[in-house]
Amino acid sequence: MRRLLYVVLAGALCLSLRCANSQKLAWQSDASKADQHQLVKFLYPEQVSLTAGKPDIVELHFRVNDGLHINSHTPRAKSLIPTQLMVGEPEGVNVASVDFPAGTDYSPAFSPEDKLSVYTGEFVLRAHVTAQKGDHLVQAALRYQACDANSCYPPKTASIAVSVIAK
Amino acid sequence: MKSAKKGFDLKRNHLVLILLIAALVLMIWSGVVNYRHRRAEEAQLQAMQSVLTPATPASPADAAAEAAEEDKSPLQGKPAPAFTLETLQGQKVSLANYKGKAVLVNFMATWCAPCKVETPWLIELRKQYGPQGFEILGVSTDDLDKDDEKQNAQDKEDIAKFVNHMHIDYPVLIDGDSISHPYGGIDALPSSFFVDRTGKVVAYTVGLHDRSELEANIKKAIASGGA
Repeated sequence: MRRLLYVVLAGALCLSLRCANSQKLAWQSDASKADQHQLVKFLYPEQVSLTAGKPDIVELHFRVNDGLHINSHTPRAKSLIPTQLMVGEPEGVNVASVDFPAGTDYSPAFSPEDKLSVYTGEFVLRAHVTAQKGDHLVQAALRYQACDANSCYPPKTASIAVSVIAK
Repeated sequence: MKSAKKGFDLKRNHLVLILLIAALVLMIWSGVVNYRHRRAEEAQLQAMQSVLTPATPASPADAAAEAAEEDKSPLQGKPAPAFTLETLQGQKVSLANYKGKAVLVNFMATWCAPCKVETPWLIELRKQYGPQGFEILGVSTDDLDKDDEKQNAQDKEDIAKFVNHMHIDYPVLIDGDSISHPYGGIDALPSSFFVDRTGKVVAYTVGLHDRSELEANIKKAIASGGA
């Protein structure tokens, strides 16, 4: 009888755990939903190793969704919203500057005489970073405004986190 | 002594039985929850597959119908949500003020390149159909800094510059984001809601469309709902 009880209890425990695992946590589904709505994705790196105290360059890779373009860091018209990177510097990390690539020329089909300066596909930002010895988490936000062939989308902000290990 | 041991064994057996029943109830509950979860996942997967694999190859007519379907708003055929917004001059304007007129509620922004393309068409169409009781309400979704007075004034000035530069002669209302939600969430610009004389949404377009399509929708709004 007791042996049977143990077997049944173990089975019930396993089923309960499996059941609990199959339910997503609230923050997990929210995070994936927020990610789905992004029109630009941060690709990599998630982690970089630097020499402590020595200025270095960290390349941040992004991808614009197919069929879309975003304004470059220096759009040609003042009314257009430039792509910008806001960086939070944790203690022991200094981000002196960020280099943005030059935009490529793009003429929308609806207005072929106009030339916009845009990023499409993959693009790379180069951050000039100096870190003190230790592990640091650098968080940043990419602000961009995307359009496709016929529509424009409101400005969005993509979150970025890079683990910086300085030795 | 013997009867005391027998009593103890009986109690233990009862306890074991209770635990056994509790375990069985837990197993049944887990099974039901798992089953429901799997059913929900299967339904989701099926919905995704039906999106990925159309039953038959799409013909151009199907594509056109699909495009029209994409431009369907849940508001179509329903009363346009009421709103009151301010003009750049601070004058309050309500959609209700235009009852009896056909109205194009046009969500736009100064940073929206396709909006700049359709704006001259809208100006011309308003001139053409205004005498028949047609009006346009431009609704700017440009950000307005509500915490910084100086920046707020600058934001409004930027919109005013755009309005002047584009020679817009119909009312342009600001803080359009505040009415985005009742209008189904404005995800892309330009977004246009064609409202008939009774205040009902008769057509909706998102993105840049041909001038002729805009005109057809304006005619529909004018004709619908009676003179």
